[in-house]
Amino acid sequence: MKEPTASWKLLILAALLPILILITIDIAIGGGSHPESFKRFGNAILTSYVVMGILLLGNLFFYADSRHRPLAPLVGMIVAIVFGVAISYILLSNDDLLLEANSGVRAQMLSNIVHLLVSGTAMLLAALLAIGTTFATITGRKRRVLFEEEE
Amino acid sequence: MRPLFSGDGITKTPNQPTECKITGDVHKSGCRRQVMDSMLEAAIWFWIPLCTIPLGMWLSISGISKKPGLILSLIGFFLVLISAWTVPSSDSSAAGHLLLSILAPSLLLAYGIHGMVFGGNVPVGKLDSTARWSGTLAVAISIIIFCLMHWYNFTPLWRDGQINPYWIVFWPTFLLFSTALCSTAAIALVGFGDNRGSEAMKLILLSVLMMGIAISAMLFDGYLTTADEFREYLWLASADIFGTFVGVGSAIGAFALVIWSYEKSLPLPGNSPPPSKDEIKHVVKLAENHIGGEEE
Repeated sequence: MKEPTASWKLLILAALLPILILITIDIAIGGGSHPESFKRFGNAILTSYVVMGILLLGNLFFYADSRHRPLAPLVGMIVAIVFGVAISYILLSNDDLLLEANSGVRAQMLSNIVHLLVSGTAMLLAALLAIGTTFATITGRKRRVLFEEEE
Repeated sequence: MRPLFSGDGITKTPNQPTECKITGDVHKSGCRRQVMDSMLEAAIWFWIPLCTIPLGMWLSISGISKKPGLILSLIGFFLVLISAWTVPSSDSSAAGHLLLSILAPSLLLAYGIHGMVFGGNVPVGKLDSTARWSGTLAVAISIIIFCLMHWYNFTPLWRDGQINPYWIVFWPTFLLFSTALCSTAAIALVGFGDNRGSEAMKLILLSVLMMGIAISAMLFDGYLTTADEFREYLWLASADIFGTFVGVGSAIGAFALVIWSYEKSLPLPGNSPPPSKDEIKHVVKLAENHIGGEEE
């Protein structure tokens, strides 16, 4: 077995490179600036933080089972989620900072959740394709004979 | 083209107030009733079913109620899928409509991947070797169907023959993320694996194929979307992917911080007192009862 030659930096670069290539092509075509993407970035961060926080809050119940149901971690996680919701509300209420083409703060929050549902589905399907193909290529190779005795 | 939300119920044009604003001043009682009705409908037919999906999964995985949890999730998922018909006034139902539109190619993709993986050399659950080829064909057909949904008249249509606004969110995100993941998987195989060059090459080819599809969409107009719109949404998809990763990472960080700070605050467990004479006697008696064998 050889020593691993890949590092996390290389893997992150491999993930970013195709996206950067596509964006560079868009700029070369004359795509111009896209200020809306900063709003989307902000909305995606806040929404995924809150939704993931709520899912992890569910996990805390399992944790509580093995610790005589302490309240402190539950309260801590609820505070973290409320903090995320409050930040979202403040930034969405603040003029035109994060508000996209929606009628108000509540509409934007609902839109963000639905948007996360769609983009999350797209990412899950892409992960299914990439991880599935990786395993398919690995299992597709003919079985190697490691020792003569195996024959 | 952008998905416009008026808080479920009433559509609006960008930067114009809705007919009866949900989030602002509502003066007319009839208007308010209409808004409340549409909000209630959206809650009953879309949002509550959407919430039951993770709730049912949680109940099922935790073992509290396995089968009812699974059934609850499936019912919730089904109601979300048909929300475009049960609550057509809700803007959120566009997401349910999109999920329904992509269900068939997604299932075909999953079936194909299953056949490709288990048609190969696996120790358990091995399928017939033809499953590998039929699986590859299924994956290819599913990707072709997705392409036809962009360039041909398979495009998901929502209200009044208009394109589903979330299709142009889904498609660039899927292309970008699959390109990036395939590229990462190829490098990981070469870097961490032993003699995996040919397998990595196949993944690189898939990554290049998905990138080629994305570049084609950037250059050529789709059936109902233009190349300019796709390029704009490509930026938004990039922002979505990075933002989601940062947000999920932050939530996991907050979770770890909460657990760590609680565990740190717990006092160290004290030493237990030595056993009393009675306890030792009891243990010895138990041991004698259990280790005494028959004499030969």
